[in-house]
Amino acid sequence: MAEILRVDSLGKSFAGVAAVADATFEVEERSITALIGPNGAGKTTTFNVISGSMPGDHGSIWYGGHDIGGLRGYQIARLGLMRTFQMPRVMVAMTVMDNLLLAGREHPGERLIGLLRPHASRQTESELRSRARELLERVGLADKVNEYGGALSGGQRKLLELARLLMARPRMVLLDEPLAGINPALGLKLMKFIHQVRAEDATTFLFIEHDIGAVMRNADHVVVMAQGAVIARGTPDEVRHDPAVVDAYLGTKRMVIP
Amino acid sequence: MSGFTSPDFWFGMLTIAAIYAIFTLGVQLNIGFTGITNLGQSGFMAVGAYTMALLVLCAEWPFLLACVVALGVTALFAVLLGLPSLRLPDDYFAIVTLAAASIVVIVGQNLVSITGGNNGLFGFDASWVELQTRILTWLEPLGLGDQFALPLVLVAWAIFIVLALSLRGLQRTPWGRVLRGIREDEVATEALGKNVLLYKLQSLAIAGMCAAVAGFLMALNLSVVYPNSFNVDVMFTATAVLLLCGLGNYLGIAYGALLMWVVLEGARFADLPMTSDRVAALRMLIIGIVLIVTAMYRPQGLFGNKQEMVLRG
Repeated sequence: MAEILRVDSLGKSFAGVAAVADATFEVEERSITALIGPNGAGKTTTFNVISGSMPGDHGSIWYGGHDIGGLRGYQIARLGLMRTFQMPRVMVAMTVMDNLLLAGREHPGERLIGLLRPHASRQTESELRSRARELLERVGLADKVNEYGGALSGGQRKLLELARLLMARPRMVLLDEPLAGINPALGLKLMKFIHQVRAEDATTFLFIEHDIGAVMRNADHVVVMAQGAVIARGTPDEVRHDPAVVDAYLGTKRMVIP
Repeated sequence: MSGFTSPDFWFGMLTIAAIYAIFTLGVQLNIGFTGITNLGQSGFMAVGAYTMALLVLCAEWPFLLACVVALGVTALFAVLLGLPSLRLPDDYFAIVTLAAASIVVIVGQNLVSITGGNNGLFGFDASWVELQTRILTWLEPLGLGDQFALPLVLVAWAIFIVLALSLRGLQRTPWGRVLRGIREDEVATEALGKNVLLYKLQSLAIAGMCAAVAGFLMALNLSVVYPNSFNVDVMFTATAVLLLCGLGNYLGIAYGALLMWVVLEGARFADLPMTSDRVAALRMLIIGIVLIVTAMYRPQGLFGNKQEMVLRG
């Protein structure tokens, strides 16, 4: 299968400390790929650099045939590569519906000049509204449509963040710990939803996750990072038996128990 | 207390309240709806007023055309100021805009050959005097033909209402929704593919144009464009008006501005046993007390949305 994302010897340091030293991996189109590794391995920093939230120090990032290295966050999002955050970033003082409508793409009414064509704006608005209702139905938030974002629980906010991003029909989605802090039932539902979206819209998912069980069950491929570098890549089974991975996860234990 | 019964007191108060209300509309757009703390609004006011006066006096342009071009120049000034400063965190942006406003006033005071320094610029309002006379003849049948201060009151409040309704309409569009998104969480809004910097620049430019309109009216009210009428006190009084009204409401600004100026102008007429400069200082004291009382007992202001405020923590 074709690759959609290629990260090549990416590096990013903060005040001389390398959060990501040398990360190289690729993600296949239409795959669900997991990015795992111990705390401090540089996973979220990798996400931040890929999504344009912060510039990388060296290395290159290719997405769908574009070099997206120097692009700003909104430009990368417009190319269809979108992300969620570890702590869900829901607009708390906006309604659930407004949160979703905000993510609409190429909305004429979002440009001052486009407001001169109110008909086109109204049409886009009503299309987005029905898509929003449909997505809320699918993630089980339909009864919250007029609530403020701040009235939702942590798990519901994660679902809202994912639904909001899907409003823009992304080609590839980066999820930062989608299962952290939500109850197992909701987690199952969320993973099921991700599989559905992949099947229907051919969306690629790359997700950071600490729940190894969920990774083994859901991911087609796994990328393992430790201390800023990618140390292993492969299918869940290959990775599980890779000595370098076992070492990275258990290394600290060996030091405690000699 | 005889001052309260004179129409001149009320017309003067209503004019200045309208000017502050229009000025504050822009601050509301920035602080209340975009989440950018623009403290340079009085600088935009000065840029607008000086540009208008100079175009009329030096280039001999008609007053209205000069106003339209001055609006454009102020918007351009706002964009040029915003391009570097809107990339900063918001508290730094506030400091930069405050400094820029001070620089504009200092330039106005010292570039004597162009701005007339502290003497200011006169004689740009001939077409306004003409219009004023015409409005007075319309008011003649109502028995108000001799109230020379009334036309400016009517024009200023008419402009306020048109601007407030337009801004409210704009806020209800998808464009306004993006601004609200930026106010709530600009990182998330950028991640949704919105060019946050562009929206902030548009917000700042529109606010600057509101300030320019307030500047034109201030110039007509005083018949002079004078640097100290744009000093930072204007910005602080407007901020007090904004907090009194509450964030996220345009039409409520009218009440905030009227309340503020009834108190401020009224303080002049209270028969206090003190010299006039102390009474002037008292006005600043009043603003401070109004702010403290508002923050203690009604933090959302008169018209702000308490629920949204609580949610944002």
